[in-house]
Amino acid sequence: MSRPRLATVVLSGCTGCHLSLLDAHEGLIDLLAGVELVYSPLVDGDTFPGCDIALVEGAVGNERDERVLREVRERSKVLIAMGSCAVLGGIGGLRNLYPRSAVLAEAYGDDVPGDGLPALAPSVRAVSDVVETDVEIPGCSVPTQMLVDALTALLAGQPFVLPRRNLCAECTRTKRVLLEHGRDFVSDAVYSVMELERIDPARCFLEQGVICLGPVTREGCGSRCLAGNMPCRGCMGPPQRDFEQGAKMVDALAAILPAGAIMYLDDLVGTAYRYTLPVSYFPSLVTEEAGDE
Amino acid sequence: MALGLFLSRCDGKMMGTLDLDALARDAGSEAASVMVFDSFFDEAAERTMVEEVTKHGIDAVVLAGHSVGFYEHSISGRYLWDRLEQVGVNRNRVVAANLLQQVDWAHAGDPAGAHEKAKALIAVAALEAQTRPPAEGVATEPVHSALILGATAEALVAAQRLLDLGFEVLVADRDSVSDGFARDHALVATSAYVLGHPKASFADGARMTDGSGWIGDHDIELETARGTVEFKAGGILLADPADTRWVEELRLHFKVDVDDDGHARSLDPERHPAETEVRGILVVPVYGDGEPALRDRVAAADSAALALVMRLTKPTVFHHLYTSRVDETLCGGCASCVRTCAFGACSVHDDRLSHVDERRCRGCGKCVVSCPVGARDLVSSPHRYLMDAIGLLADRWGAGPKVLGFLCSGCGYPAADRSGNAIAEGTEPYPASFLPVRIPCGGRLDALYVLEAFKRGFDAVTVFRCREGHCHNLIGNVDMDRRINLLRTVLRARAIDPERLRIVDISPDDGAGFAGAVNSLYADLALTSAGGAR
Repeated sequence: MSRPRLATVVLSGCTGCHLSLLDAHEGLIDLLAGVELVYSPLVDGDTFPGCDIALVEGAVGNERDERVLREVRERSKVLIAMGSCAVLGGIGGLRNLYPRSAVLAEAYGDDVPGDGLPALAPSVRAVSDVVETDVEIPGCSVPTQMLVDALTALLAGQPFVLPRRNLCAECTRTKRVLLEHGRDFVSDAVYSVMELERIDPARCFLEQGVICLGPVTREGCGSRCLAGNMPCRGCMGPPQRDFEQGAKMVDALAAILPAGAIMYLDDLVGTAYRYTLPVSYFPSLVTEEAGDE
Repeated sequence: MALGLFLSRCDGKMMGTLDLDALARDAGSEAASVMVFDSFFDEAAERTMVEEVTKHGIDAVVLAGHSVGFYEHSISGRYLWDRLEQVGVNRNRVVAANLLQQVDWAHAGDPAGAHEKAKALIAVAALEAQTRPPAEGVATEPVHSALILGATAEALVAAQRLLDLGFEVLVADRDSVSDGFARDHALVATSAYVLGHPKASFADGARMTDGSGWIGDHDIELETARGTVEFKAGGILLADPADTRWVEELRLHFKVDVDDDGHARSLDPERHPAETEVRGILVVPVYGDGEPALRDRVAAADSAALALVMRLTKPTVFHHLYTSRVDETLCGGCASCVRTCAFGACSVHDDRLSHVDERRCRGCGKCVVSCPVGARDLVSSPHRYLMDAIGLLADRWGAGPKVLGFLCSGCGYPAADRSGNAIAEGTEPYPASFLPVRIPCGGRLDALYVLEAFKRGFDAVTVFRCREGHCHNLIGNVDMDRRINLLRTVLRARAIDPERLRIVDISPDDGAGFAGAVNSLYADLALTSAGGAR
């Protein structure tokens, strides 16, 4: 029996998820032994030859993305959306807060290039908003182990299921005040990381007044940021796909940190929807209602 | 699931805006049984309902007619629930659709709109009855003991009656119990009886510091002049209605309904003056104006003691648990719920999972909102139901302006009921396209519901809730403010005018204020009351 044909594709993304794949190191040898890599930015080849399994990185942000994605969907048996941009729209999706014309003006000023570049879509969309996906693995970049586990399961004919709890389930920091009954906020103020002289690496960020999106974020990344003493920014998206991450942040943190302080964060929406704006309730309201172009 | 749809003309109280027979035809297509009654409360009607339930294997019932508050505040209403439960319809699967005050009276000038609204409300009630899980409960052998708060003449008389029946009694007073008892010379013999009784105990200089449990089985902690006293109380009797301090302390732990003067509210001042919304807590009613005569005070004490004895001398009392539940396969132990619960009912244990103390949980649902993974849900008001109800109302009403109103069960919903009365008495009616959804507390409002409502095409979302200091769950309204303020920032960034989300603080009695608030919203947003886009 011939080996399954694997393709990897980048849409509007940073290729970070491809680097995650490469981060499997020697694990790649086992993985690649089980497949035939037929198309990828990592190998030569101009035309997509069709495949059994397609790994798609990046969001759909321009007309080329959409054309490529539709072709890949049509000519692959299993499509895996890989990483936050593909699954949730990702960080580039924050441009959906602005009309396309404003985005282009910000990037190019008066000198918007006419030829050579694919036309920017009115808004950024997640892969599943354009074509059907078979497996979705979020993460910025996609967690290497989770990607390897998913591919291994798939090749063995097993289902791959994302973990369903929030990041707190795997976080090892200790909580004290949060576990006590009481009506006061756990911190008098809200701080950005650089405002604090010292952040206790063993204690819950929220108790130190630092906004951590761990409670509203799916587990499974291995808490890499927390290990580096940085709070969770929510790249795995919400634990349930139909929960809006930003709205749930509002719900969950309202009784924990001072609402007024959160409100005067420079960028509440950018904080709460950093990776998920294109899959939120109003993914591109600006362009729909403000009548962009 | 088999649905029974029973409609009532509410003992002739309907004004004729609604044609119940037409409504039964239009709204009953999915029900196993549809019946129209003149009254739910006559023996033949109850027998028919019970027979229909048995015949069709009905396990969810919509009672379309009276407000849910009517059943909650009347013993005959609760008796109807009991009869349905005896034939297999769980209490949590009997849902009232308020056609009387919120449709028939409120929209008397708009029969077509009223008909459509009644259909939508019945559909939502049917959804609720079929989405709610069955409520579990505990059967308790009631403790034959009573805690009496305030050493008044009423306390003395009630204590004497209870002691005589073999009850254990603890009388607590802010100052001195014996001084309190000595105030009324006519009762000197009663005072001697009570003070010398072996089953009586007394707490001077007392205040309540903790309380949990339910009828037949309360755990009470008092701080007294002689230190901490713990007491197992079958029932609690508020014997000093003028002293609001006891009520203030009680409501930190039990769901006592408090009026504007800080007094515990009776279930029904006319028919059940000694009972409160909480079955284990009774009040001595105040008869007449001014200084009541001794015989009236004795009668009040008698009726309160009798109500308590009637409940506690049953072999078992059943307490439904309308509490929050935890899905342990989802809970990540983040403790959002711990901080949001005002009653200390949520805790994260060493197993890193959230646990609910059912003896403290009052079912307000704030923990459900705060839970970011959907591991929490409320038996009486499930997340799935509320999400689906928003969509169902939007679809049923269809095109044209529409406003969604979340009504907290403590103040918003009763105010909407009273607006029907007010409109019947001449207050300007509000448009039928104002569609209500009852929620247990303002704190149950999830930001997701507001977003869903806008997504489904509602022009505006309103929340009617308790005024500052009147929240039945202490701080549900405060927590809601915190969320809503943040949500407005989010809405603004998404190009949704935050003015389309309006919060109204309302007294449960202010029917005219309710109608006025809805009308001014329509005016401010330039929404027309019927047909046509704005």
